[in-house]
Amino acid sequence: MDAQLKRGLLDVCVLAAIKSEDSYGYKIIKDMKPYLELSESTLYTILKRLEAANMLTVRTAEHDGRLRKYYRITEAGVGRIEEFKKEWKEVISIYQFVTKEEDHE
Amino acid sequence: MNRETFLAALRAALAGLPQDDIEERLAFYGEMIDDRMEEGLSQEEAVAEMGPVEDIAAQTLEEIPLAKLVRETITPRRGLRGWEIVLLVLGFPVWFPLLLAAAAVVLALYAVIWILVASLWTVDALLGFNGLGCIATGVASITRGDVLPGIALMGAGLVCAGLAIFLVFGCQAASKGAVRLGRAVARGIKKLFVRKESVK
Repeated sequence: MDAQLKRGLLDVCVLAAIKSEDSYGYKIIKDMKPYLELSESTLYTILKRLEAANMLTVRTAEHDGRLRKYYRITEAGVGRIEEFKKEWKEVISIYQFVTKEEDHE
Repeated sequence: MNRETFLAALRAALAGLPQDDIEERLAFYGEMIDDRMEEGLSQEEAVAEMGPVEDIAAQTLEEIPLAKLVRETITPRRGLRGWEIVLLVLGFPVWFPLLLAAAAVVLALYAVIWILVASLWTVDALLGFNGLGCIATGVASITRGDVLPGIALMGAGLVCAGLAIFLVFGCQAASKGAVRLGRAVARGIKKLFVRKESVK
């Protein structure tokens, strides 16, 4: 898949994983596993990018005697998901156009 | 590999990078391993799922912007010692002109490239004007009755004009080449910093 496209998709996936409730690194990976495999390094990069874009906030909390980082979606993050849904309708119509052209051949 | 050796190996692999980036990465991977062990995985299994240390280090280097790397290298970790400040101040008449000279050389390189291109275009334009002028003079000579010199002038004018049209292609190629060369020089300067970084 095109790298740019995949990057955008992964961003939205991670946002969706923290949409309903705050989550932490390993839980995000586990939640996404049935849909797509995500490596630790990739997740780290995505989280940093989303934080820089103000689409999520990070807080550190104690868990079982150690520290864990929790990620919370922001208004902008929710907005990004909605935007993605709209964009995707366009992508689907483009897909239909592309495959229609193929049928004519 | 257990948790501690993994984190120590990662720290060693990241050495030389900005300190805050190192600490954040280590905390992230530490938390990931802890969470897996909480699920019942053994320490070794949890560490194995992180992937090779080298891959993580390579990715980290890739993601830190060049500007931050350069800033980090230029800013000393400790304060400057007294004699270093004295050297910097006393050496100013030496290192400042050198720095200026280096910048001037790069600038001169750009200037030379573009002046060359500009002179090529000038030659071409003059050839064109000259050609048109010769043809006009030739026509005037013929109407005045000097038929033979007129034909010679017109011939020369046609040659010049033809040459000018032909040379346009050469000039275009030279301009494109100059743009490409300029980009290559810029890339070379950038690489200079990256190479220094990876050696460190």
